[in-house]
Amino acid sequence: MELVGDTISNGSSSADPPVPAKSTLNIVKQRFKKDEDILYIFESYQLKGPEYVTHLLVLVSSESGGTYAIVSFSCQRTPLSSVNELVIGKVFAIDEQFKLRQDDTSSIAAQQFDLFSGEEGPIKYYYYPSETAKFEEFYATVVNCQALMTAIHLDTVLNFRWLNDYRQIGEVKQELKKRESEYMIYQDTKIYCATWNVNNKQCLNGSHSLRTWLSRSEQPPDIYAIGIQELYVPAKSMLSSTDAAADAQWINNMINSMYPGVEYSILKSYRMMAVFLIVIVRKPLKQQILNVRCNYVTRGIFNALGNKGGVAISLQLNEGNICFVNSHLAAHSGQKAARNQDYQGIVGGMSFEDGRTINDHDHIFWLGDLNYRLKEREPQPGPLDDPQLLLIDDELREEMNNNQCFIGYSEGDIKFQPTYKFEPNTDNYDMRRLPSYCDRILWKGTRIELLEYNSIMEIRQSDHKPVYGVFHVKIKTRDHAKYKRVQEEVLKAVDKRENDNQPQIEVDKTIIDFGRVRFNEPSSSYFNVYNTCPLQVDFSFKEKDIDSICEPYLQIDPREGSLLIDSARSIWLKMHADVRSISGLLRKIRTNDNFDILILHVKNGRDIFITVTGDYQPSCFGLSMETMCRTDRALSDYSQSQIKELMNNNSPHYRVTMPREFFLLIDYLYKQGALQQGAFPSYESRNQLKADFNAVRDWLDTWSQDPFPASVETAAQALLLLLDLPEQALLEPFVENLLNSASKQEAMNYIDLLSPPNRNVFMHLCMFLRVGIESGYYDMHQVAVTFGRILLRSSECSALPNYHSKCCAFMKMFIESDEELMGNGNDSGAGSGTRSTGLHA
Amino acid sequence: MAKMARGFDHLFKLLIIGDSGVGKSSLLIRFSDDTFSGSYITTIGVDFKIRTVDIGGLRVKLQIWDTAGQERFRTITSTYYRGTHGVIVVYDVTNGESFANVRRWLEEIQNNCDVVNKVLVGNKNDDPDRKVVITEDAQRFAKQMDIELFETSAKDNINVDEMFLSITRQVLQHKLRTTSNEQQKDTIHLKNTPGTKRRKCCS
Repeated sequence: MELVGDTISNGSSSADPPVPAKSTLNIVKQRFKKDEDILYIFESYQLKGPEYVTHLLVLVSSESGGTYAIVSFSCQRTPLSSVNELVIGKVFAIDEQFKLRQDDTSSIAAQQFDLFSGEEGPIKYYYYPSETAKFEEFYATVVNCQALMTAIHLDTVLNFRWLNDYRQIGEVKQELKKRESEYMIYQDTKIYCATWNVNNKQCLNGSHSLRTWLSRSEQPPDIYAIGIQELYVPAKSMLSSTDAAADAQWINNMINSMYPGVEYSILKSYRMMAVFLIVIVRKPLKQQILNVRCNYVTRGIFNALGNKGGVAISLQLNEGNICFVNSHLAAHSGQKAARNQDYQGIVGGMSFEDGRTINDHDHIFWLGDLNYRLKEREPQPGPLDDPQLLLIDDELREEMNNNQCFIGYSEGDIKFQPTYKFEPNTDNYDMRRLPSYCDRILWKGTRIELLEYNSIMEIRQSDHKPVYGVFHVKIKTRDHAKYKRVQEEVLKAVDKRENDNQPQIEVDKTIIDFGRVRFNEPSSSYFNVYNTCPLQVDFSFKEKDIDSICEPYLQIDPREGSLLIDSARSIWLKMHADVRSISGLLRKIRTNDNFDILILHVKNGRDIFITVTGDYQPSCFGLSMETMCRTDRALSDYSQSQIKELMNNNSPHYRVTMPREFFLLIDYLYKQGALQQGAFPSYESRNQLKADFNAVRDWLDTWSQDPFPASVETAAQALLLLLDLPEQALLEPFVENLLNSASKQEAMNYIDLLSPPNRNVFMHLCMFLRVGIESGYYDMHQVAVTFGRILLRSSECSALPNYHSKCCAFMKMFIESDEELMGNGNDSGAGSGTRSTGLHA
Repeated sequence: MAKMARGFDHLFKLLIIGDSGVGKSSLLIRFSDDTFSGSYITTIGVDFKIRTVDIGGLRVKLQIWDTAGQERFRTITSTYYRGTHGVIVVYDVTNGESFANVRRWLEEIQNNCDVVNKVLVGNKNDDPDRKVVITEDAQRFAKQMDIELFETSAKDNINVDEMFLSITRQVLQHKLRTTSNEQQKDTIHLKNTPGTKRRKCCS
């Protein structure tokens, strides 16, 4: 915390900073460029889930951009120990839209504020109340910066391009930029700049008329940038700045006057009224040039007429950005202030399509009739052929020295005579004007070497002499082989970081074994998850089917959660194969060896499969009558895999005519006689199994010889479940046919088609119920409703009109005594045998 | 997490499938981390790594999913085929059964993906004495299935990069081809509609 609130004095400012935590400042400094100053570092924090993440808000000023911004870094720990701990978050340009707004809901415990600028926000930050004084200091500094910006740049575009290096341009780009020196080489490029105020004279005919001006260099130039002022423009074309006709003759002559023997091609020409600029390049160079853009700024009367102003062409040659400006600034002696303003107007107003301004280029060449004069004084300046003496009085040099204009620009030694004002077609000065160096070529940027700078006396059409300058520029270029290697390394490193930072958790088990699992007996188990990475991890169980993360007989707690760094937690699984879920479990067992596979998903990371398994103790509940009829021993003697095999057995051969378990239950109930009065509860009672139910389960599953271990009600409930729990209703696949049968005779035809176990169970059950009703133990209607719903259970048919009453009617039809039809049923053989042995044994 | 500006031109999802123990994870780790661990750890779930490669000046970010090969996970892993651009089907050249099962894995692809680019990989190709799936047989099968074959060794780093780059190139070409087709369709579409409309208006 000791690092917060350091006011850093800018240069030799008199502000007395509180003892700065040098280390933090120095570390943060490493993230910024040389011409960027850190004005303040404020430590705030953000809430990420339950965690507090420290954010350093760094107020920076950029010399190249002339603007301010706040760059927010998140850091894993404070105090900082290395620059790598700073992760760039948001970047707030301090522009017109920028706001730092304190939140009214700040409390004693936490103060909060929002930051937003044109492109970001609002983003909320918090700080500790103990930092209030520092926050106020930070706030004041920021407000001050913003006020400064609005005061200076009233109507110019603020330059925030420097911030692009901090916006989230992706690690790869940042990393590649950092290692630029490893793959950048410099391509030697000759640039020929030329300027001439032609005084509205038409271009002279003759194909090589401009050669004396444009073919002066020793070696062929790679790029020409030629600027003309006071280009003759016919009145009809005056308003159209794009009319090419006005320029055609000039362009034609220029092309013909290029360095001989070399093929050149026009890259771009651009005219604003009478100010014209053309860039011509050696043909093969064209394919190395990208992003050619141009624009203009009008100055002159009302700063809008365009009789003065500037045009500029911006281009990218390999990795170097070059800008050429041709300007015609305010004329007349004594107007240097106007010229300075014109310069400011062009610098501030010129921006290209990509937002780039003149100053955003590596190499800038500014040429034109800048119109700066020699100062008038007595006696008149000395001999006109001694530039050294004359230049003492040059306004431009003086203004540049005083930082009034062309800040950061250079100019070569002037060894030629003043270029203005001549009597046309002579080399004689028009002495009504003080001879001056109006026509100049300046440059700004790195790796620029001036080779030649001169005027052309032999060209006499205009009252100005043309000027040219030849430069040797080293343009940044990628060495493709080296770049490829560095890029590969960078990509690998960045990928590795991403892979290493992938959220990771570990589990102590991927197989959860519930051991012995029995029907209607819940059990639980758990496993542990550990966060093994340096990040907070969010996990959840992934849905496999629609809305389901696990089978219905399983419950997971928690289904999702977060793990802080170095923490662990248990995930509990509950297994309960109950009335609702037993058929699902049996279905699963039929096709799988496990109960379920859960997908434990780590947000932004891997998925872990958790296999849920156990040893299911087969029980009669949930098994189909067919399966039970295939058993040759008590179900308790079967293993899970044996019952799986039995369930998958589709042969039409059965060991018994009806399941022994069913028979035993019916037999027991029958023998209870009057005791079973009202024993059949409603259908819904299945959701509330009796406490002694599991005793009945075991009694049935072991073929026990012991007396029935539970109440008559439980036996009745068990009978209902035995019939209801199998996946398929007893009377399937004929439920629909049966419900639509017009007569008992017709229905009977379908009953005969049922599998023998199902048919026998059905007939036996009807007989048992009939006897019970005849004996007055049950109510016909209630029994018909309850059993109808079970035996004719069907999700498709339940939508039929009168489904429930139809089920009830069907049951009544079969329960009611009908000797003739029963006889018909007896023909099936197996049925008759069971009936007689069943109830009267 | 703040969304980072895209540092790539294309993002592709690749899936590695094949029998348990054929070296799917080893291939992935060799490609993403350039490491190999002799100890065998069964993948119980689905893991992924990323790697960005440069293909002809285009930066392609690969998200490569490594799946559990065990039989019991077959159904569940099939849900991961969705949205996959390319599938790497791996067998073990020292294990004939894993090669025999390739047909099943290819069916798995057919059942779970629409159009998908694939490559066949015979891994553990570093010990001629233990090799049982001979190159010619694998090559014949690959040709019959119209799928490119690579014999690799994650252990000795043989052919691993080549294989991943090949499937990436395949996916990239496929994408460039389909997008340019779509653009062509669009242009035709655009050219036709306004004309017909105008005629209707004027009549």
